[in-house]
Amino acid sequence: METVSQLLTTFGVAWPKFLAQVILFLTVYLILKKFAFGPIIAVFEQRRRTLEEAQANAEKIKRQLAESELRCQEILKKANADAQRIIEEGRASADAQTQKSLQQAIKDAEGIIEKANENVELERARMVAEVKGEMVRLVVDTTAKVAGKILTKEDQDRLASETTKQLAA
Amino acid sequence: MLAAALTLDAPTIFLSQDGESFIDWLSNSVLLGAIVVGLIVWFARSATKNLSVVPGRKQNFFEAIVQGLYDLIESVVGTHMVARVFSLLATLFIFIIVSNWFGLVPGVGSIGWGHATPNGFDVTAPLLRPATADLNGTLAMATVFMCFWLYWSISEVGLKNFLNHIFGVKGGLTGLMALVLVPVFLFVGVIEVVSMAFRPVSLSLRLFGNIFAGETLLSTMIGLGKQLGVPEWISYIMSITVPVPFYFLELLVGLLQATVFMLLCAVYIQLSTSHDEEEGH
Repeated sequence: METVSQLLTTFGVAWPKFLAQVILFLTVYLILKKFAFGPIIAVFEQRRRTLEEAQANAEKIKRQLAESELRCQEILKKANADAQRIIEEGRASADAQTQKSLQQAIKDAEGIIEKANENVELERARMVAEVKGEMVRLVVDTTAKVAGKILTKEDQDRLASETTKQLAA
Repeated sequence: MLAAALTLDAPTIFLSQDGESFIDWLSNSVLLGAIVVGLIVWFARSATKNLSVVPGRKQNFFEAIVQGLYDLIESVVGTHMVARVFSLLATLFIFIIVSNWFGLVPGVGSIGWGHATPNGFDVTAPLLRPATADLNGTLAMATVFMCFWLYWSISEVGLKNFLNHIFGVKGGLTGLMALVLVPVFLFVGVIEVVSMAFRPVSLSLRLFGNIFAGETLLSTMIGLGKQLGVPEWISYIMSITVPVPFYFLELLVGLLQATVFMLLCAVYIQLSTSHDEEEGH
């Protein structure tokens, strides 16, 4: 123990100086801890939080962007499918309409032809009737002129009737 | 003014006429320690007065130091302890390195009381002396650290685990084998306690020895010309040129010793607080 004491004395270790150094060191420790390291570490923490938030936001934005792109792709795909479907429907509708118009045109043409045929028949019948009437009048006139006498009403009717019968036969 | 070879003890500044000191505690190392504390506190306060997320120059410099130390300490003591121990270890590092480098400032150790000799004025009691070149200073730092170390170790792992860590049977042995080995591990525990008790001694003597040796080396290099008895003008040139490489060496030694002191303290903390963590997993 005496050796240690002697050693300490040789090195100038003394309680007052030692305690003064302890107080000095504790002072700087407490001051730095309270006024320097504490606030600085708080700033580090704040900065770390800000960075983490920024990173989280960036990740969120990236995720949202990816989702938006995906949604956009889906919308485009759906729009393409819709457009394709509409085109197909339009094409089918146009085909159907064409067919319908064609049928209608055929029907109309057939109607026109039928009506024309009817008109022709009527015209022909009217012309035949006119020709027959003319023939009867010619026969009556010719008979009157050949006979040299004026035919009576009854003669004319009888002659016309006979002529008509012969023409009909 | 010549640089004087330092004495082992740091003399008291104020001496009475009969040579007795009347303010015992105010040694030249305490005075320089107080100046160093003032400088550190002034710089730290001016760097952290208006803290902002986007730092200014001073804040940036201080932050770089703090961040570097924080990462270094965290890598040794672990995430769970760094918040508790950082302030003390960082203070140790900063105080030691500033004290070490302050000893290289011209005038420190070479201005003071002394007497005239044929070779010039011999300073026997310098006004300023680095706190790290005084065993009182290094022992004070080591003692303060060991008190905190003991408190942190016990509060972190508990008194039972702390004692078990020192004296307990290790290696997961149980049963008869463990009983047989109890005396051996008790003896190992006693050795461990002695080793722990010597930690402040080794810490303080290592730092004191290196810095004291550095100061002595520089003093010797400055006075080399006179020691060799060369002409006055050569001696004058030598006193300026010869110490220059040693100044760079001492800058490096100052940094290394501060780092070694801090890292050893961190390792001691890690050794006594990681035991519980290992068991927990």
